[in-house]
Amino acid sequence: MRLLCRSLPNGAGIHLLLLLLLSPLYMLAQSQEISGTVKDSTGRPMAGISVSIKGKNLVTVSKSDGKFNIPAQTGDVLVFSGIYLEDQEVLIGSKTNLDVTMRTSALTMGDVVVVGYGKSSRKNLTSAITTVKPEDLNRGAISDVGQLLQGKVPGLNITANGDPTKTAAVILRGASTLNSSQSPFYVIDNIPGADISAIAPDDIVSIDVLKDAAATAIYGNRAANGVIMITTKRGRKGPGQVTYSGYVGLEKVSNSLDVMDAGQLSGFLSGNGSSFSPNDDKGANTDWQKEIQRDNAFSHNHNLSFSGGSDHGSYSASINYFKKEGILLGSDLTRIIARLALEQYALNDKVKFSLNVSNSNTNANATPNRNVVLLQSVRYLPVSPVYNANGSYFENLTGTGYFNPLALINHAADNTKYNTLIGNFATQVKLPFGLTYDLSLSYQNNTSLHGEFYDSYYGKNYNTATFYNNPDPPLVHSILNFGSNGSALRNTYQNTNKILETFFTWNRKINDHSINAVLGYSWQENVVGDGFQSSTTNFPVDNVSYNNLALSNPYAIGSYRVNFGDPNIYYKTRLISDFARLNYNYKEKYLLQASVRRDGGSVFGSNDQWGYFPAVGVAWRMMEEDFMKNQNIFSDLKLRASYGVTGNSTGFSAYTAQLISGSLGTFYSNGAQVGAYGPTQAENLNLQWEKTKTANIGLDFTALHGLLSGTIEVYDKKTTGMIYTYDVDPILLPIGGIVANGGSMSNKGIELGLSATPVRTSNFTWTTSVNLAHNKNEITSLTNPLFPGGDSIRYTQPEGGGQTGSTLQIRKSGRPLGQFFTLDYAGKNATGVSQYYNASKGLTVSPAIGADYVYAGSPQPKLLVGWTNTLKYKNFDLNVFFRGVFGNKIFNATRADLFRPADAQRTNILADAAGESPADINAYKYSTRFIESGTYVRLDNATIGYNIDKLGNYVKRIRIYASVNNAFVITNYSGIDPEINQGGMSPGVDANNFYPKTRTFLFGVNVAL
Amino acid sequence: MKKLLNYIGLSGAIVLGMTACHKIDVPVTTQLIPEIFPQNSSQFVQAAGPAYMALRGGYSLEYHFMQSLSTDEGILPARGGNWYDNRNYIDLHFHSWTKDHPFSNSAWVYLSKAIGASNQALSILGKAMPDGNDKVMALAELKMVRAVSYFMFMDLFGNVPLDTVYGDYTARDKTPRTEVFKFIEAEVKGALPGLSNVVSTATYGRATKYTAFALLAKMYLNAEYYTGTPRYNDCVAYCDSVISSGKYSLEPIGTYLQMFYPTNGPSTKEFIFSIPYDPAAGTALNLNGYMYHARYDVPRSETGKFNLPFTPSAPRSTLPEYYANFNDANDVRNKQWLTGLQFMNDGTTPVTVTTTKKGYDQFYTGSDGNAPYTYQVELTPNIVLRQSVPLFDLGNDEIAWNIGYRNIKFYPDATSTSRNQNNDVPMFRYSDIILMKAEAILRGGNATLSQTPLSLVNSLRAVRTTSPALGSVNLDFIYAERCREFAWECWHRNDMIRFGKYEGAWGFKTNNETYRRIFPIPTVATTLNPALTPNPGY
Repeated sequence: MRLLCRSLPNGAGIHLLLLLLLSPLYMLAQSQEISGTVKDSTGRPMAGISVSIKGKNLVTVSKSDGKFNIPAQTGDVLVFSGIYLEDQEVLIGSKTNLDVTMRTSALTMGDVVVVGYGKSSRKNLTSAITTVKPEDLNRGAISDVGQLLQGKVPGLNITANGDPTKTAAVILRGASTLNSSQSPFYVIDNIPGADISAIAPDDIVSIDVLKDAAATAIYGNRAANGVIMITTKRGRKGPGQVTYSGYVGLEKVSNSLDVMDAGQLSGFLSGNGSSFSPNDDKGANTDWQKEIQRDNAFSHNHNLSFSGGSDHGSYSASINYFKKEGILLGSDLTRIIARLALEQYALNDKVKFSLNVSNSNTNANATPNRNVVLLQSVRYLPVSPVYNANGSYFENLTGTGYFNPLALINHAADNTKYNTLIGNFATQVKLPFGLTYDLSLSYQNNTSLHGEFYDSYYGKNYNTATFYNNPDPPLVHSILNFGSNGSALRNTYQNTNKILETFFTWNRKINDHSINAVLGYSWQENVVGDGFQSSTTNFPVDNVSYNNLALSNPYAIGSYRVNFGDPNIYYKTRLISDFARLNYNYKEKYLLQASVRRDGGSVFGSNDQWGYFPAVGVAWRMMEEDFMKNQNIFSDLKLRASYGVTGNSTGFSAYTAQLISGSLGTFYSNGAQVGAYGPTQAENLNLQWEKTKTANIGLDFTALHGLLSGTIEVYDKKTTGMIYTYDVDPILLPIGGIVANGGSMSNKGIELGLSATPVRTSNFTWTTSVNLAHNKNEITSLTNPLFPGGDSIRYTQPEGGGQTGSTLQIRKSGRPLGQFFTLDYAGKNATGVSQYYNASKGLTVSPAIGADYVYAGSPQPKLLVGWTNTLKYKNFDLNVFFRGVFGNKIFNATRADLFRPADAQRTNILADAAGESPADINAYKYSTRFIESGTYVRLDNATIGYNIDKLGNYVKRIRIYASVNNAFVITNYSGIDPEINQGGMSPGVDANNFYPKTRTFLFGVNVAL
Repeated sequence: MKKLLNYIGLSGAIVLGMTACHKIDVPVTTQLIPEIFPQNSSQFVQAAGPAYMALRGGYSLEYHFMQSLSTDEGILPARGGNWYDNRNYIDLHFHSWTKDHPFSNSAWVYLSKAIGASNQALSILGKAMPDGNDKVMALAELKMVRAVSYFMFMDLFGNVPLDTVYGDYTARDKTPRTEVFKFIEAEVKGALPGLSNVVSTATYGRATKYTAFALLAKMYLNAEYYTGTPRYNDCVAYCDSVISSGKYSLEPIGTYLQMFYPTNGPSTKEFIFSIPYDPAAGTALNLNGYMYHARYDVPRSETGKFNLPFTPSAPRSTLPEYYANFNDANDVRNKQWLTGLQFMNDGTTPVTVTTTKKGYDQFYTGSDGNAPYTYQVELTPNIVLRQSVPLFDLGNDEIAWNIGYRNIKFYPDATSTSRNQNNDVPMFRYSDIILMKAEAILRGGNATLSQTPLSLVNSLRAVRTTSPALGSVNLDFIYAERCREFAWECWHRNDMIRFGKYEGAWGFKTNNETYRRIFPIPTVATTLNPALTPNPGY
């Protein structure tokens, strides 16, 4: 007997399940009867395993004692499959009685992994790739691929808040750039750089996270932040199937800031001999946070898909409708995605054509002036009502920067419509000598149409010169002006990517030597920001919102200036690459992979447009060695090592390297304001990509007959030549900065993924998997020989009142990205005033910005943990997922700004500030007092499901489930939620910009017809 | 098989064809690149614009704070923690600033940017413009923008790096003040022949020959302090160059105040070089100037009186020591102040505020603190740190906000829709030429053109006050007259140093360290230019 282990493509399980369900329809052919027993890796018999013959419509199922019978002929291949199990194939020889051992696919040692320009079996990988199956993705009312993966992949740090219109921040193995572009590179169905908003979560078949350079270097200068490969559903040979999945979700705010209510605040003031202004105190007790929120936010999602195929072609199509209300009034998102995937074979099946088209249309309403609304909702005095007696909004505009938050929402609108179209036409030709030729042509088109409107109420009440926006850090606030009689802003932009990729693959096995070689070429042209913006003001009515700019009369407002938007928004880039990869293994025991990509990018300086990105990986499957034959602990064991170089070529304007002049404003010349035009960007002919070198050592194992499997990765990732805007003395360069290479960053870490099946009986199984990741981020250098001004830059200025110039973070070599740098709080002095250590370690109540600052903790987490448990009992399954973040600090600037006992008669304060004395005029100062631990553990999701395998003659399978997201969080963090954005330049800063986190209850059904 | 071979051939051809395609350059078609801009005369004007925008940048903000709040002219105390701003303003009053002082940093950046923008425009126009008179004049005017910027740079920081070449990133240490002085002197004299002698709308806001004369006169008047070498006769000579040109005259008493109104501009008789502000001026890259005086100076209770589009917060006032110079009831310049009981523009309707007893006086201890209270606004001259002495805090009630006499010389702009005002701000005014000449003669220069210090001062007083002409004049009187004439015009620190009064005591300040006549090389500068060494004393 010869036992072949082979893995089937993803989704085959469902396909086989279908065959199983359809088995009564098939006639049994005449041949010898093969019988035997199916056992699990511990030797116990397994029931319900489907047994089929490859290429024939013949299926049976193992009985409760594991026994099966099936008629087959010599030379047939029997396929044994079951959910969560690796498929086993057995070639029928002379033997008619077979014992087959099934292995769990818990850690997918046997799966096919999507790598760039091809696929690989997991066991032959030399690189660090984590695969996530759809059943392991996060459940919930999620439209964003980032959130689907949260907590599921060791090393992937994902932070999200409750805003339906925003995507999560995704960082792999620590930030490796100071650039805006930290997010991994997404490849969807082999289309590099595709837009993930075009994909409905229900259409995903697998997500492969490429982590080390051996895996990612094939994507060259776009791969430094890791690569995430997404594969969507394809049709399969066999009868058509239709599936529907849908859910309704209900969200409630999970936590609010504990500011004082009217009674508490009045008590606090009278206790301190102070009182409200009669202009504010109208005897109300308003919970302003509640006023700007919905009581319940509903969401629902419907996905209908159908697929099928013949011997020479297949199809798969789906339509998805998603609607989600944000918990903040005014915010919601509606998205419709339609997708079609066709495959057709021709020329005696030597040529395969495939066409994939996906269109995603999104309509997103954002809460207007969201961050200002959030800020006002905690500052506004509870003793003021929302409305005056006459129904108009209550306002007291004598206060500085003090606005009715509900009026802010309801007198404005902020809408964006997005459309993403992705089309791909691919041809695959099977050539002689094991050669395959692939040609892929892709087109992606993103359009956006944005509208904002601030009605006459804004112009009348809020042009107070104290209406600052409240941008997410590290941006610094600026004053907003809302024109007169309504102001509107509209813009529409289109981005297009055209991609041609073509490659030869040579796959050959010569005796014990297996070779897979890829040689290819890629050409891509992107046009970004093709469109325009306009703004106007002075409308006769408010009703038309931003929809009819022609009704406005801006000319009557002499000082009004149309906002035409970012002058650098349009650009065109070209990326051209040649790449080659060689995979070699000897007896599947010694594995080698080497790849190189030569990338050219038009965005770089003319002296440095082309670069090479090599990578090499080796692996040793110890399992295949003789000395492992006699042990029975491990059923697979592999040691891997890899090293490679990747780059980063995104996150900055395409014309960054060139001398560009732009409109700088106007100046007086000969009696008129004349446009001033000058360099907005300095020339840097030597600008090149950032280089990230990653060394990775990994160990994969499966032990205890498949009951325990795991992966350990250790990596060392070094970025050099970081692209960074170096501050330049304006006397040398008046724009004050140049984009140049220089500086380096280091990320070192260890990741562990473990999967186990502690209990498996015929009715009950418990599988559990845990992943842990530790990363240490450090900026190792911030210098460029010409531009020394990169180091020790203080930044992140939340600009709370009286804190002008105070910063929270510092960019400094030897420190992690986001290092907190602030005043060192030293308790209160004898008169109750907060005091601080000054630079000479003395005490002061009037500390100096900068000079008296100390390093005060890092926002980078020390440990990320995800823990999934799946329990199955008969038709029930229960999934419980915990997620934890440990060892990071949060700068709670929100809390600091609500610690103003001296201002409590004008703006609300936290209930926690009740013990503060109004005499403490320093109470609010950003200092170590407001740095808190960001450690938390969240019961991120619990889902209970019930599965019915067959219902009548028409329904193949039904699953109903109920799910709760964010059931609870255990933390000492005093803000709304410790899940503060870890992405960008200002990680870990809670600055009055936190979109409330919600708890979601979800009820869903999946039906297969 | 043949078919298959055809396929191989075809696909091979495709691959080869594509592989040959490695053209990576994408031409820039949507931006101003040096090949297409600037190319003609109107573009040359546009390309000079960034230098003028940069000069406008911080003149009425950072530069004004540095020159005014470090003297007895202006003070900006905290009010209930507001405007404390980490000692930004207090340090100027106490002469206790460090190299981290925010305004020292931003003033340094303002002037560096103005110089850098001039260097940049000189480089661009030097390459792009065809040779000829237009080029000579354009470059001469830009050199003057650079020269006045360097003058301010030198006045504040003393020793500053001489960077004159755009695109050269070499770090340079600062140059001693005497060398900077010589550099400016040579630059101005070099530019003089190319500058226009036309004084009109066409040259308003740009440097003319008379701007060069005025700058040289100012340099020579201060030369003894700047370089140790008195140059009073040179000062007189360049004042005479302005006086004898006949292009300027003193505004009569009836239009003195209007000279600084939002409507001011080229028709003003006294402005030799001014910085034109316009609230509608476009802005980008923080190069726009802020002319924000009403925001700092007009009490919030008078928003209605001045018909402002916003509520000013008005923390800034003068000190009694400075206001004491306004001791002539007949002087029109008294009207640049808001003092005492406040009335609406009709002169009779009181400006009133309705608040509570507690809101009026935060230290009110009666049980009826919430009782409404209406009062007429009365501005009081003395700065009283009612809430906190160490934090320089007056408190945050009506009394506190009414503390201090306010300057409204740059009269609030009711037509603006933002805080920015339309008032142009003069750097060199004809009355300055008159007083500089008088002072230079008193300090040892020779009288010329039959003008004596007394005749010069009386010629000015004749259009400022209805009081009788003076019989004699001395340096102290010149000082007091300069206080009256140039309040809020960025000259008081310069005057106090020249008159030896900068180390005096006023307000709450007692510091008398002479090294504080120049500000420290700020942290922002040393961070970006490690070659810079600290100024003496810091």
